[in-house]
Amino acid sequence: MSASIESQGSFMTEPLDLIRLSLNETVYVKLRDGRELTGRLHAYDSHCSMVLGDVEETVSSIDENDVSKVTTKTNKSDMLFVRGDSVILVSPCVPEKL
Amino acid sequence: MSTQNNSTDKSTSLPTEQADEVTEVQKHTYDPSSFLSEISGKQVVVKITSGILYNGFLQTVDGYMNIVLENTQEIVNGEVKSKYREVFIRGNNVLYISAV
Amino acid sequence: MLFFSLFKTLVGQEVTIELKNDLSIRGTLKSVDQYMNLKLDNITTLDEASFPHLCAVRNIFIRGSVVRYVHLPVNAVDTALLEDAARREAMTQAGTPVK
Repeated sequence: MSASIESQGSFMTEPLDLIRLSLNETVYVKLRDGRELTGRLHAYDSHCSMVLGDVEETVSSIDENDVSKVTTKTNKSDMLFVRGDSVILVSPCVPEKL
Repeated sequence: MSTQNNSTDKSTSLPTEQADEVTEVQKHTYDPSSFLSEISGKQVVVKITSGILYNGFLQTVDGYMNIVLENTQEIVNGEVKSKYREVFIRGNNVLYISAV
Repeated sequence: MLFFSLFKTLVGQEVTIELKNDLSIRGTLKSVDQYMNLKLDNITTLDEASFPHLCAVRNIFIRGSVVRYVHLPVNAVDTALLEDAARREAMTQAGTPVK
């Protein structure tokens, strides 16, 4: 079994392969409602549901009084299941913010 | 049905070079999935439902319109907000993929 | 199928479910189905002030589609096993590339 798993190799033919190659690596996930996660990817499925370890969540929301102000809040979790329908994008490395 | 017949009549009455042009156009525009395979590896802009644009090099697409882009800029309100070396975009969020 | 199996192994464990309406519910996982609908026992809400109507509720059924996160007990999850299972599932259902 493990030999045939190896034979999948590191080649990317379909988009979900990028997520497969990120297993046991740190990933960045952007979700709906201004949520972002960074954590170690332990599992995923075709809906992009995921289990992440050592996760830091950042929630950005627009200030109630001042629309131009964005407030951010961070939360941590040791082990987190994320339902795929909230996912917008997944990246194997944390993006460079400008 | 009758209008379709009319239009085919018109195209057959065109000079041959022009008729060839029509089939050439059809080849490029009338099959979305051949468009996608044509632009793989090329620079594209992907717009998602939130209005954010992703400008990068198309690596792969699948039937759900899940997309992998390389060397991507995230553009929010016309400004580049972040850069991704590689990014997977979940297909349900995609509005369009356009070749630049 | 992968996460259905994972949640089956977590029956009896304490989990915290965060819903898409920002409500968090902690309780003992009682059962799960293929849609990831979940049943919890002995629940407490983390924010009782904003959801007082749930104070008296002990037992709840949550439709899978309203779940955003499930916080899992870290010692109940075998991460190496999960990664292997994820690779195996990816192999059995390789997607349909656009020609």
